[in-house]
Amino acid sequence: MAWGEDDDRRPEQDEGEEELDETDYKTQKDAVLFAIDVSKSMLQQPPATDKKKGEKDSAVAAALKCAYQFMQQRIIAQPKDMMGILLFGTEKSKFRDEAGGRSGTGYPHCYLFTDLDVPAAEDVKKLKALVEEGEDADEVLVPSNEPASMANVLFCANQVFTTNAANFGSRRLFIITDNDSPHGKDKAAKSSAAVRAKDLYDLGVVIELFPISQGGSSFDVSKFYDDIIYRDPAAELGSPDEVKTSKSGDGLSLLNSLISNINSKQTPKRAYFSNLPFELAPGITISVKGYMPLHRQQPARTCYVWLGGEQAQLAQGETIKVDSDTRTVDKSEVKKAYKFGGEYIYFKPEELASLKNLGGKVLRVIGFKPRSSIPTWASVKKSIFIFPSEEDYVGSTRVFSALWQKLLDADKVGLAWFVARQNANPIMVAIIPSRNPDEETSGTPYLPAGLWLYPLPFADDVRNVELSAPPRPADELTDKMREIVQNLQLPKAMYNPLKYPNPSLQWHYKILQAMALEEDVPEGLDDATIPKYRQIDKRVGGYLAEWKQMLAEKAGALMKSRAMKREVEDEDEGRPAAKRAKPAAKKAAGGHLSNAQLKAAFEQGTLKKMTVAELKDVLASKGVSAVGKKAELVEKLEQWIEENI
Amino acid sequence: MADKEATVYIIDLGESMADCHNGRDESDLDFGMRYVWDKISTTVAANRKTWTLGVVGLNTEETNNAQDREGLEGYDHISVLQEIGPASMSTLRDLRSLIQPSRSNGGDAISAVVVALSMIEEFTKKLKYNRRIILVTNAESPIDDESLEDVASRLNESNIELVVIGIDFDDPEYGFKEEDKSRAKAANEKTLRKLVDQCSNGVFGTMAQAVEELAIPRIKPVRPFKAYDGPLTLGDPSKYESALSIHVERYFKTKRAMAPAASTVVVNAERVGPSQTQALDEDIEMGGTGFSGVKQMRTYRVNDPDAPGGKRDVEFEDLAKGYQYGRTVVPFSESDLSVTKLETKKSFTILGFVPSRSYNFFLNMGETGVIVAQKHNEQAELGLSALIHTLHELESYAVARYVQKDGAQPQIFMLKPNPALEDEFECLYDVPLPFAEDVRSYQFPPLDKVLTVTGNVIKEHRLLPSEDLKQAMSDFVDAMDLSGFEVDDEGNPTEYASIDELYNPIIHRLNQAIRARAVNPDGPIESPAEILLRFSKPPEKLIKKAKSEIEALADAAEIKKVPAKAQGRRGRKEPVKPLSGLDIDALLGESKRTTISLENAIPEFKQMLATAADDATVENAAKQMGDIVRKLVRDSFADLSYARAAENLRVMREELISLEVPALYNKFLTGLKKSILSGELNGDRREMWFKHVVGGHLGLITQDESEVSEVTADEAKAVSL
Repeated sequence: MAWGEDDDRRPEQDEGEEELDETDYKTQKDAVLFAIDVSKSMLQQPPATDKKKGEKDSAVAAALKCAYQFMQQRIIAQPKDMMGILLFGTEKSKFRDEAGGRSGTGYPHCYLFTDLDVPAAEDVKKLKALVEEGEDADEVLVPSNEPASMANVLFCANQVFTTNAANFGSRRLFIITDNDSPHGKDKAAKSSAAVRAKDLYDLGVVIELFPISQGGSSFDVSKFYDDIIYRDPAAELGSPDEVKTSKSGDGLSLLNSLISNINSKQTPKRAYFSNLPFELAPGITISVKGYMPLHRQQPARTCYVWLGGEQAQLAQGETIKVDSDTRTVDKSEVKKAYKFGGEYIYFKPEELASLKNLGGKVLRVIGFKPRSSIPTWASVKKSIFIFPSEEDYVGSTRVFSALWQKLLDADKVGLAWFVARQNANPIMVAIIPSRNPDEETSGTPYLPAGLWLYPLPFADDVRNVELSAPPRPADELTDKMREIVQNLQLPKAMYNPLKYPNPSLQWHYKILQAMALEEDVPEGLDDATIPKYRQIDKRVGGYLAEWKQMLAEKAGALMKSRAMKREVEDEDEGRPAAKRAKPAAKKAAGGHLSNAQLKAAFEQGTLKKMTVAELKDVLASKGVSAVGKKAELVEKLEQWIEENI
Repeated sequence: MADKEATVYIIDLGESMADCHNGRDESDLDFGMRYVWDKISTTVAANRKTWTLGVVGLNTEETNNAQDREGLEGYDHISVLQEIGPASMSTLRDLRSLIQPSRSNGGDAISAVVVALSMIEEFTKKLKYNRRIILVTNAESPIDDESLEDVASRLNESNIELVVIGIDFDDPEYGFKEEDKSRAKAANEKTLRKLVDQCSNGVFGTMAQAVEELAIPRIKPVRPFKAYDGPLTLGDPSKYESALSIHVERYFKTKRAMAPAASTVVVNAERVGPSQTQALDEDIEMGGTGFSGVKQMRTYRVNDPDAPGGKRDVEFEDLAKGYQYGRTVVPFSESDLSVTKLETKKSFTILGFVPSRSYNFFLNMGETGVIVAQKHNEQAELGLSALIHTLHELESYAVARYVQKDGAQPQIFMLKPNPALEDEFECLYDVPLPFAEDVRSYQFPPLDKVLTVTGNVIKEHRLLPSEDLKQAMSDFVDAMDLSGFEVDDEGNPTEYASIDELYNPIIHRLNQAIRARAVNPDGPIESPAEILLRFSKPPEKLIKKAKSEIEALADAAEIKKVPAKAQGRRGRKEPVKPLSGLDIDALLGESKRTTISLENAIPEFKQMLATAADDATVENAAKQMGDIVRKLVRDSFADLSYARAAENLRVMREELISLEVPALYNKFLTGLKKSILSGELNGDRREMWFKHVVGGHLGLITQDESEVSEVTADEAKAVSL
């Protein structure tokens, strides 16, 4: 939908009211500052090996590659979010270019490589040069002789966040280091670091540690970092944020290990709603938070660019409302009314509020059903994940857990009335459990365990597609098909979305990146969603050929028997023709014309003889817009026949 | 899209229609009009030129119809109130004044049907129309039954449906019988029934049922839309001979129906005479009620350090289109814009198969489609059928890549077989699945165990259910089962709340209210129809049945509501500690913080308050913080430091609320507003106030937020303006 048609950016438009659903929900913005330790050991090249999978990157290189990948992903997935890169333990020091204050000297051995901001093409370019070409013209990747003071590093980060991402809802400092004891036994240095860490905590910055262990030694967080790291105040109870150490080995390179650890923190966990009362039965209420782990990612919309200055600049649009005399309308004059029969029907704001209010925000169970009672087609939109919160009701987690286990064991789902927020439209949902991701049979190792609110269609949302029943299939055809289906299982016998990047999105950003970085435009795209045709042919080509042969035979036989039946019917029709002629003729002329009949009519040039109503019927049944004068309709139909039959 | 319609309503306006019967406190006419208004307003709402209606009054004082004018007899006291044509709001208004009981009763209902019939015949000619006559009467006035057969055969010839809805007509099927019915009425009812019976397309019913059924939401029928007509392939037929290709058609199975959207309007300015005729076309159409639509104009601004306020307007004509890559804007020429669009060809091809148990409903990303074989194509019919049955037998689904038309974005579908075992036709259903980019990896702790900081696994914990709780939950879920809760007409248990019973409450509530207001602009808003809220809570019978299980669950769960003000007061705050439990406050030493720096304002402000022993310290901290906010605003280059100032304000507000000294904040904020508006903070700083303070909900602390505040919500609003 966001495919550059920029439907909402035209200079003028008549605006209908947006559905008060997910659109008015503002996500909080996220800022991430990478702090990468540039010490001798971090820069150590791994010993050269012949092995293909051998380690190629120093820890710093791996960390920078991670940051580069993170930056690119961020531009696609979170275009409003910021990131920055701070190197520490460097010989050189740099804070900000701007004159005055504390440039350089304020934070010795801290080098702010990329200032915290929404990444620009320049930032991507500079980082890419460092990562891919190893271009380090400024010699930033030179370790200092004395280590950086962690207190300084933390305060430097503090200042970066304070000035650049002052009111971001989520601010995170990613520390990547292999040194579990930067200050050894220096108690004073440790203490001042701890104090600076507390400052960051009070500021609302969360520190995420990504320790690297090299050469078999383990990273002991208790030596220093336990004094630095706080439990995320927003985290659920009983869930210590696990600190995972990255290392190479087990066929996994340090880079991959680090990428996987950092990716798990890529998106800050944003709640879609908090503390929603979840009523299991009258008198039994717990509270839950809602999340959207699944969300359709769309390419960004086009924007307007002003080219009058030295640099291309984004033109920020502002909307003014005007009445039919193009007089600017004040906000207080504007009213909401419904179009009805060519006029406006007006409700006072309080009337409108009472109309839309069908009860406050709640998730209320009305009963349970077997999972199989949900029709396979009953889908309208993505599901929301819920997880218990102890903030409003102590005991929520254990009750939630008991419900989750029961639903899994009994293969049941809950049926519930769901109002996500005050003023949100109520919907009916099925409450469906997801298994532990590490269980082999989970089917969804990439999604967390918990309960999902699966929106059910209303009767209003269901289209009645009336179609005639086709013939019973020949059993042999079905039997033959088995081998084909059984031999073409997807890897691990599941659909894993992580293996299928969205080709449109990938292409859009690939081109955009090339244009932004002034690189060559790539020729093609490695599209993972295109089937492996060669493999299909190799694995089941033989079966398919046999099956097709059989299908041709069976189809031929069916065609014959039908033709005979028709002949018999035609003969029978001789007598009662008077009675049946009319409806039958009508049918044949309307939307029920077979393709063969259409083609015949087309070739004989008799399409023009059809009435407008009949033409419209046929076109609509073919999914072609049935708007226009008769000549246009005939033309459209001819075109369709040419293309499709 | 939908067929053309011509409907004539015949409404009995006879003297007796003004009376109230059978214990109702509204007249027969009002009772009957409930049904008619609902029907008419539905037509008006559709706002279609091809949906036409006419209205004929029966038992009117005057006589006004073509038959009478031609000199035919027996057409007295029948008036055409509205010739057939599209219905608009003004039709509705006109009718409101015309539909009044008369003092006459000399009209003949059958003659009225003939009048309506002629109107329809004349209007629709031989064109394709849905023709219908709806007669609403209490049948108290005499009916001439001589020409019933002629009338019926003419109705049948013209393909007109006759609907007779009688007030207090007997209907054994519905279960209504009027006691003390007059003999005349009984005879008339019989005559009308006879007429309807002779019609090939006739409905005869009682008004009570019709009115009752008005509450049942009517669903707008939508003609099936064919989204795809082409091959479903396995393999690549253009490269491999073995590849399979089945010609299929795909229709939408579900499509979210949207609630009516409100438009933005303004009250029309007082206009006199001629100026109105010069208004835009749309305006005339929309006129009458005194509202007119609002249009949006967009203006564009760019940053310009030399301009006042740092920004200046640019002309729309001077702008190019482009995309944003991070914070860099990449301009594209109009011809280049499509380069970023992936070139795709219309196709539908299977990637592979998966066991159906590996799939879960919550992976669905949207609306479903239904796939059937191309009609009259034996190969396709048999081929698709075999695929459907094989998938069903192997309990498998297919994963496919779908491109609706050339240039469309590829989608991944899960194809599920529907082998016509219970349903009447077999097909594949498809649902869209997520791509890699659509999955956000959020981490959550496990639900069946607790991990300690040191990595130990605990199986018994207050966050985990006890065996008792598990059992109670299991019993509760089983007791609350809905699958066989409802009983059908034959007494067999059936499913409760199946999808065809779920109506979108907002859509129907809004539509009903809009129609009601259109008919009666001064009427109050009625409470929502019961049927719309039917599934907003568990059925009472079920709750009664599961009473003991619910109680057992409540006992085992031991849920406690957290009191609203459990935390936050001064002194009660537990000092926050890092993972190691190190006491940072102790590190800071005895010397308590007394000054707050600009650079590190938020942490220092919080720390100063945390250790504050008296009100003077709190006041001092607030004052220092306030000075910092002022300084940030005053020294800000354009709006550069506004966000930071706002964040300091936010923390200040939050902390002072929790310390229950809202007055400190309110006093400061009032002063800040004055300073900003008077321009004493180094220039025009109004953006700081309106965008950040007001827009960021940082206004005065009201009594709703802090009991000790003396500011009401209205006062806070006034200050924000």
